[in-house]
Amino acid sequence: MLLGLDVGGTFTDAVIIEKGQVLAQAKAPTTHADVLEGILNALDKATALAGQLKNLERAVISSTIVTNALAEGKLPPAFLAVCCGPGMNTAGKFPVAPLQLKGCVDHRGKITAPIDLAPLARANSIAPAANAAVSCKFGVRQPLLERQMAQALLQAGRRKVFLGSEASGELNFIRRTNSAYFSAQVCDLFRTFCSRAEKALAERQIKAPVHILKADGGTLPLAAALEQPVEAVFTGPAASVLGIEALGAVDEERPGISLDVGGTTTDIAFWQGGRPLAARRGAVINGYNTAVRSFHMRSIPLGGDSKLSVSLVNGERFYFVGPQRVGPAAAVGGEAATLGDALIAAGYISFGDAARSHKALAALCPGLDIKEEAKKIVATAVAKLRGVIDEMLAEWARQPVYTVDDIVKGTEFRPRQLIGVGGGSLGLIKALGEAMDLPVSIPQGAMVANAIGAALARPTLSAGLRADTTEGHYIIPESGERKPLPRPFNRKAAEELLDRWLHEQVATWQLAEQETEVISAEHFRTIHGYYDTGDIFDLRMQLKPGILQKVAGFSGEVAL
Amino acid sequence: MTDEKKTLGLVFFPAFDWMISPAHPERQERLLYTRDQLEEEGLFDLPQIREYRPRLAAIEDLQRAHVGVPSVDKLVTRAHYVSAGGCLVAADAVMKKEVERAFALVRPPGHHAMRVVHGIRGFCTVNIEAIMAEYLRTKYNVKKIAVVDTDVHHGDGSQDIFYHDPDTLYISFHQDGRTLYPGSGFLDEAGSPLAWGTTVNLPLQPRTGDRGLHTLYDNLIAHILEDFQPELIINSAGQDNHFSDPLASMQVTAQGYARLADKLKADIAVLEGGYSIESALPYVNTGIILAMAGLDYSKVVEPDLSGLGREDERCDQRVRQLITAAGELYFNRKEESARQMARLGSDKVWARRKHIYYDEEGIREEQQEAVHYCRYDSDGCRGYLTILTAAAGTRFGDQSAFIVCITRNCCARCREAAYDEALREKKRSKVQYVLVQDIAAGTVEAL
Ligand SMILES: [Zn+2]
Ligand SMILES: [Zn+2]
Repeated sequence: MLLGLDVGGTFTDAVIIEKGQVLAQAKAPTTHADVLEGILNALDKATALAGQLKNLERAVISSTIVTNALAEGKLPPAFLAVCCGPGMNTAGKFPVAPLQLKGCVDHRGKITAPIDLAPLARANSIAPAANAAVSCKFGVRQPLLERQMAQALLQAGRRKVFLGSEASGELNFIRRTNSAYFSAQVCDLFRTFCSRAEKALAERQIKAPVHILKADGGTLPLAAALEQPVEAVFTGPAASVLGIEALGAVDEERPGISLDVGGTTTDIAFWQGGRPLAARRGAVINGYNTAVRSFHMRSIPLGGDSKLSVSLVNGERFYFVGPQRVGPAAAVGGEAATLGDALIAAGYISFGDAARSHKALAALCPGLDIKEEAKKIVATAVAKLRGVIDEMLAEWARQPVYTVDDIVKGTEFRPRQLIGVGGGSLGLIKALGEAMDLPVSIPQGAMVANAIGAALARPTLSAGLRADTTEGHYIIPESGERKPLPRPFNRKAAEELLDRWLHEQVATWQLAEQETEVISAEHFRTIHGYYDTGDIFDLRMQLKPGILQKVAGFSGEVAL
Repeated sequence: MTDEKKTLGLVFFPAFDWMISPAHPERQERLLYTRDQLEEEGLFDLPQIREYRPRLAAIEDLQRAHVGVPSVDKLVTRAHYVSAGGCLVAADAVMKKEVERAFALVRPPGHHAMRVVHGIRGFCTVNIEAIMAEYLRTKYNVKKIAVVDTDVHHGDGSQDIFYHDPDTLYISFHQDGRTLYPGSGFLDEAGSPLAWGTTVNLPLQPRTGDRGLHTLYDNLIAHILEDFQPELIINSAGQDNHFSDPLASMQVTAQGYARLADKLKADIAVLEGGYSIESALPYVNTGIILAMAGLDYSKVVEPDLSGLGREDERCDQRVRQLITAAGELYFNRKEESARQMARLGSDKVWARRKHIYYDEEGIREEQQEAVHYCRYDSDGCRGYLTILTAAAGTRFGDQSAFIVCITRNCCARCREAAYDEALREKKRSKVQYVLVQDIAAGTVEAL
C-alpha cells in the first residue's frame, strides 16, 4: 500500500494505492499559513475512506514548502565561502556576496594553491548565520579544500555546512555553489517541517518510511532529503508528469509532448520511450542557476480560466489570452469570458451553459460572428503554446555533442503525439494537435494525478565516479569519498564501485532493492610527451528512475 | 528568450571520437580539459553566450576550397565534415545576426591544408577557414574578408588558397620558419601579382611573448586591418604561441591571447593548433571566450606561470623590423601589384613551382601552378588557375593530376579556355586525373 500527498495552489490531495488500484482519493483546501494542516486534513479524509492503512510501505509528500520559502525571499541569508580560482568573474552569480578565499584546484583535481583559512576565522566572529555553504571550483575533482572550510566553520559553531561537491558531482561551479547555498538557507525551515510531519504521521500510527518528492521526480527518505533540502523545490510539476506516466497516458513507441492544462497554467513536458525527458541543466531559483535536476518542462500562464482581452490597432482586432486568471468560465457561472468559453463557442468542447459563454464573449466582440471570433481566440492560445514548444525544441536541439557519432546519428527530438491532461480545457489540445498535425491522446484522468505521481515515484539518487589513474585515486564527489584505486582498474571496476556505493545508500531506506543504470561514461587515455601515462574514467550512474507501478483502475471511494 | 541577440555564438565540438593516432597531439584527449574548464566555469550558462551544435558540411562546401586527389571525400573522415560544418554554423549565426560574434571551438584543425589535397599535413586535411570564407562569399555575398592567423605555425595552407585573391587579406604571425614547421611564412611571400601585399607574413623570434605580440598588433596589424576595411574578420585562433606549448617556443600567456581577442574583435574565430592541452588550452579558451563575449577576462590566469621566460632584446628588435618592413610592403602594395601585372607577358600568365611535404604521411608533392589572368578585359573576371601536381607516397600510391580551377565571376571565354586546357591535357594523358574545379559551384569534375 502506497500513500501520496500533494500540496497544490488551491487543493491538497491525498491518494492511497495498492497493486495498481487507487483505493481512495481525497481533497482538502491548501492551508497556506501552515501547509501541514491541509496535508493532514486530506490524509484523514483519505484514510476515513480506505479504512486502516495496513501494510503501508511508504508515504510520499510533495509539498510547496521549499518552493514557497525560497520564492518569498524572507529566509535569512546563510553564510557562503568560496574558492573561485582563476577564470570567470563571479560577481553577481551568487545570491549573496561570498567570502572569497585563496586556494585553488585545477581541472584534474590538483591543488595548485593551498587554502588560507584566516579570513574565515575573521568572518566567523561577525557573521551570525547558523548555516553555511562552502564551494570550491573543481571541488568535485578534489574535495579537500571544501572539507577544510567546512571543518573550520563547524568548529567555530556553525550548525550545518553544505558542500558544493555534495550538492552535485557534476561540473559547474556556480550551479553547485548556489544549490549548496539555497540548501543552507532553507534547511532549518525544512527540518522543522519534516519533523512535524513525521510526528503527525506517527500519531496516526503510520510507521512506514516517509519520503519527500524532489524536483527530479524521485523520492528520498526524510533523513536523506535533509542533506540536500533544495532538491525538494518545484515538486508540483514533477508530480504532474509522474501522474501522467502512472496513468499510462504515453505511448512508449512515439516521442511525445504532454500538456497539463490547469485553470491558470499549462505545464509542458517532453517524452521519449514512455519517460519524461530530464532537463539538461539544473533549475533556476530566484534567477540563480542551480544544479537541481528537474524534467525538461515549462509552465506558462495559460489555462482554461485565463482572462481574454482584445485591443484594436488600426481597426484590426488582436486577442490576448492570459496571463491573469479570471475563472471560472462564464459557462459555469463565471463573470467574464475565459479561454474555456472560447473553446466552447468554437466547438472544441462542451460543458456548462454554452449560451452563457456566447453572451460573455459577445462583450468582447459585439456584433461579430461569435464562433469565428472564438476560433481566433483559440488560435491565439495555440500560437502561444506552439511558441513555447518551439523554444523547448530549440533548447533541446542545442544539447552539446561531443562526438562525430552523435552528429552523424543525430539526437533530435521529433514529437509524434500530444498528450493532454487536466481540467476542462482539453479542447485546447485538440486545437493544438490540428495546428501541429499530430495525433492527440487524452487519457482517462484522475482528479488527483499529482498525488498519484507522488505516491508511485521511485526513489532517485545519482552519483559520479572519477578515476585518474595517473593520480592513483578515485573519487565519488557525492560522498566525499576519495580512495586509492583498486588494481587492476578498468571501466567494469569503476561501475562496480559506484554501483556498490549507490546500493549502500538504498540499503538504509528500508525499501526494495532498486536497479542502477549508467547515465554517462567517458574514458580517455592520457598521454604525456607521446607516452601513455594512464586513463581517465568518468562515470555517472543512478538508481533507475520512474514509477513503481502503473494505475490499472480506480476501485475506491472519492472525497472531493 | 531564444530570439534575443547574444554577444557570442559558441560552437563547441571536441570530437572525442576522432584522432590521427593514439599518441598524436591530435587525439581524443585534446579538448577534454578545455571542456571540463568551460563546463566548470558555467560559460554555457552565460546570458551573453548562445550555444550552437555543428552540422555536417556538404561536399560542395569542401570543394569550393579544395581539390582532392583522387577526391576530397576519399581523403577526409566524418570528423572533417563536422568541424567544417561547425565553422559554417558559426558563420550563419553571425550573418543572420543572431549573435555579434562566433567562436568555432572545433577540431580537426585546418590551416595547413592547401588547395590541392593528397593527404594530411600538419594535422590538417581540409582548411576549415577557407571553406568558411568561400561559403560566406557564396551564401552571403561577402566580398572583403581578413583572416588573422594567431597560430604559432605559419598557416601555409591558408596562404596557398588565398594567395591570388586580392579580396582576402591573410595576416599570419608565427614563430620564424627557420626554427619551426612548416618552414615558410617569410615577408616576401606576399601574394601573386594581382593580390600582392594581401598576404602579410610576420615571422617572430622564438621566445616572443605578450609584449612583442601586442606591440606588433598595435603598431602594425591594427593599422593594416583599418586600411583594408574588411567586411568580416576571421581569426584562425591557434593557441600554440602559449609559453607551455610542447611544439613551439613562444611566451604568450592566456592574458596575452585574451587581450588580443579583445582588440581584434573578430567576427568569427576558429580554433587551430594548441597542444598544451592541460596547462594552456583550458585557460586560453576561457580567456578568448570571455573576451569575445565582452566579459571580464582579467581573472583568467594560468595557475602555474613558472615556465614563463622573459622576452629578450632580439624579440623586440624583430618586432620593430617587421613593423617597418611589413608596413612598407603592405601600404605600397597597389603600386607594386600594378608593376608586377605590367611585367606579365601577353599571355598574362604568372606561374610558380612548389615542393610540398606532407609530414604526417611522408608524401612529397611537386606542383606547377599558373594563374591565367583574364585576357578579355571582362569586368570582375579573375581568370583561372591550372595546377599540375605529382605526389609520391600517398595512401593511394604515387598519383598525378592536372587541375583547372575556375574562379568566381569567371567570364565565359576564360571558362572555355580553362576547359580547353583540361581537355588538351586529358588527350595527352600524361597524368592520372584531369579535374575541373568550379569554385562558385563547389564542384570538381573528373574529365
Ligand atoms: Zn599550430
Ligand atoms: Zn575572363
